[in-house]
Amino acid sequence: MERYTTDGQSTERRSSSIRIDRLRYTYPGAQQPALSEVCLDIADGEFVLVAGPSGAGKSTLLRCLNGLVPHFTGGRISGRLSVGGHDPLEDGPQALSQVVGFVFQDPEAQFVVDRVEDEIAFALENAAVPPAEMRLRVEEVLHLMDLANLRDRRVETLSGGEKQKVAIATALALRPRILALDEPTSQLDPQSAEGVLQALVRLNQDLGLTILLAEHRLERVLPYVDRLVYLSDANHPPYSGPPRDVLSQVELNPPLVALGKALGWNPLPLTIKEGRRFASQVPRHKAKPAEADRRGMGGRGRRPRNGHGKLGDARHARFAIQDLHYAYNGKPVLQGIDLEIESGELVALMGRNGSGKTTLLKCVVGLLEPEHGGIRMDDESLVGQETAEISRQVGYLPQDPGDLLFADTVCEELAVTLRNHDLLGAPPVQPDDLLARLDLEMLKAAYPRDLSAGQRQRVALGAITVTRPHLLLLDEPTRGLDYEAKRELVRLLREWQEEGTSILLVTHDVELVAQAADRVALLSQGEIIADAAPELLTTSPLFAPQVARLFPGTGWLTVDDALDSVGKNGGATDA
Amino acid sequence: MLDARVWFVWALTTLVAASATRSPLYIIVLLLTTMVVGGTCAAGEGRRAPLSPLRFAMVAVPLSALFNALTVHLGDTVLLHLPSWIPLMGGAITLEAVTFGALNGLTLTVIFAAFSVFNQVTPVRDLVKLTPRAFYEGGVVLSIALTFIPQTTRSLQRIREAQAVRGHRVRGIRDWLPIVVPLLVSGLERAMGLAEAMVARGYGAVCSEKQPFRTQALIIVGLMTLLAGWLAYLFNAAWSAPAVAVIAIGAVTIGGAIWLTGRGVNHTVYRARSWTAGDSFALLGCAVTLVAACRGRAALYYSPYPVLTLPSFDPLIGLAMLGLLVPAIVTVAREDAEMHRDPDEGNGFSKQPQTSTDHG
Repeated sequence: MERYTTDGQSTERRSSSIRIDRLRYTYPGAQQPALSEVCLDIADGEFVLVAGPSGAGKSTLLRCLNGLVPHFTGGRISGRLSVGGHDPLEDGPQALSQVVGFVFQDPEAQFVVDRVEDEIAFALENAAVPPAEMRLRVEEVLHLMDLANLRDRRVETLSGGEKQKVAIATALALRPRILALDEPTSQLDPQSAEGVLQALVRLNQDLGLTILLAEHRLERVLPYVDRLVYLSDANHPPYSGPPRDVLSQVELNPPLVALGKALGWNPLPLTIKEGRRFASQVPRHKAKPAEADRRGMGGRGRRPRNGHGKLGDARHARFAIQDLHYAYNGKPVLQGIDLEIESGELVALMGRNGSGKTTLLKCVVGLLEPEHGGIRMDDESLVGQETAEISRQVGYLPQDPGDLLFADTVCEELAVTLRNHDLLGAPPVQPDDLLARLDLEMLKAAYPRDLSAGQRQRVALGAITVTRPHLLLLDEPTRGLDYEAKRELVRLLREWQEEGTSILLVTHDVELVAQAADRVALLSQGEIIADAAPELLTTSPLFAPQVARLFPGTGWLTVDDALDSVGKNGGATDA
Repeated sequence: MLDARVWFVWALTTLVAASATRSPLYIIVLLLTTMVVGGTCAAGEGRRAPLSPLRFAMVAVPLSALFNALTVHLGDTVLLHLPSWIPLMGGAITLEAVTFGALNGLTLTVIFAAFSVFNQVTPVRDLVKLTPRAFYEGGVVLSIALTFIPQTTRSLQRIREAQAVRGHRVRGIRDWLPIVVPLLVSGLERAMGLAEAMVARGYGAVCSEKQPFRTQALIIVGLMTLLAGWLAYLFNAAWSAPAVAVIAIGAVTIGGAIWLTGRGVNHTVYRARSWTAGDSFALLGCAVTLVAACRGRAALYYSPYPVLTLPSFDPLIGLAMLGLLVPAIVTVAREDAEMHRDPDEGNGFSKQPQTSTDHG
């Protein structure tokens, strides 16, 4: 493959191996280094997964490779770095743009023009690549990323997954030998994420591109990865090696690996196929009959909760949606939705993108006005009430919690909501207690937008639950969260449930549903096509969690389910 | 798809033609042509107009009629009298003033509709290409600003909703703070993200060469010549001819400096559009309308004062205004041709026009 330097001269192909030696970096104004003593050696054509909890330095490490750190960010850096024969510390990001293609987390925030093709050509135009050559390269990447039929589309009309593919295509247009991607799928639904990850695998396997991918969804990529670099925190040097070796040493594991470790499977399985070999030898006791589960209790003691064993007949519907219809520009979006949620019950609402999930939530809080149908909380109708009024008893967490946050401190965010509802004098929940429960006590005075994704979400949760709502509506709450933050969220949800809060959860995250939901409703084209216990998922090829795929027919959904059943649960949990 | 420059000329021609007349008949012809062109060329194209021309008319026509009726008290057909002690508005409210105001509103609607079409049919990148090469970076900024607008509108909507679910109500100016602050902050965050993405894609690596002193000096000299000519023109009527010449020299000098700077900007253009027969045809259509609008001033003239009369209509000028329909005709003809072509031919490499370097 010929390469062009910035002045259009053809040069020899460079080796793209990455060598990092004792790299240490501190952000400007920070006390603690973001990276310390990082040593890595990555060969040409490797597929490297960079994993670790939020704030461990994954983005920082990737940004060192193309010189964005420290050239764009400032700060102090020491150590040696060699990327494809360049020294990013000396040459800077502009020079490195020819060597390292970079893809960011938010697909929206990386586009300069409005059409797909123009967007891809933008970098080439800036590099003064001759037009004929440019034509060829754009055509190449369009075909490579399977975007040829979208070439004339406007970027804003694309889905999230398509946008991210365009972003990858723009990075590839300069023909880099290395592609660095900073959590490219964290804003996407699973189907789109799968598409993006498959495209990356193809680039790696067919073209031999070196790929460094920072990612939370380990289970999706592990099968294709040559090396796993695990950053635990800035004080520890990263673990680096073949995925199996690294996974056995670190704590945050996908369900399959967690199960394999708990049951002593060796070698650790990374794919369901590998896991089935071991799973077939595990003695199976079929879970309680499905009939019991249909009552919404799960029946397996997954969530031991106060007095819930007796609730069976006595409970009444706290929250009910009856025959709800909504149309957008004359096109029906919701068509006769019926849904009831008991006090303290958690219902997961699943379905493909565009099936009307978010629309349903917005109808409930009064942001959209339904055509007809009823929404009732206890005996009170919510239809026609003002959003500000409804929000006192219905807490709604939108997809991007950042939209809620604007105050100077975490504490102030809670006070603002109370003030809006004239409750500052007599808050239903003491803000300090709520902050303690949210594990935000230490961050009371912090600026909310500076926090990590998980912390930011908890602040937003605080801001909407400080009125002590009877019903919580959560829209994709695990998007962009790491395993630890997810685990924390599940804990919070359980506590709220125990206090009798009903929860309606819109999510694509099957592992979350498997752990937390009492019932699952599947939405398709504006209609609820199934409403049953989470065991419904075990038979669904689309939604089955890893454990259900591993043990079909058992009704097990989570690692705990499986370990309980084989009598080996010593507290190992997945997230 | 026509050249962005042709669309610009088309929008300007509509503007000139619409401003040249207040005759309702010609205005309706112009409104219809604009809507037909919008309907055929802008249908399904991305950037949505912030306001449909129809909605614009619903506000502009009554408002303009009301304003004119209240402030202009000419005309013989008196509808009612406002007491004369009311400043400005006191006096006769006449049918003629209402009519003239409504016609003004209709004219504004035509202009608005024409520029809506222009905005819808021209991709952001083509707008950038309308800017001279020397201002390439300015053009990029413009393009980013244009892509930012829909994004900002969307985040404004999201933030309003997010604040509403915290019990927030907008009652006064102060209540906008919880909406404006996150909007600004998220806008800044997005801008930083974009800057980072652009740097990572090599932006700024080669296109900003240091301007040589000579072009800078040329711009200063040009500006000073221009200013001197203008001052001379203002001071003494007798100097007007030489003053205009001096102004022209100044303008040419500045133009030359811009051209020189443009040569130093090192970037290439992807799929530069080649000029087509359709472009020339559309330009010709605009020229016909433009000539008719300038030469036929007397025929275009219409005033409802002092008494409302039926406007006259010169079919030749009406016909000339249909020159503005050419973009629609070209588009329909092209779509027709594409439909009849072998379907395989439409895919892949063969469909695209030739590339060439940018001489803009």
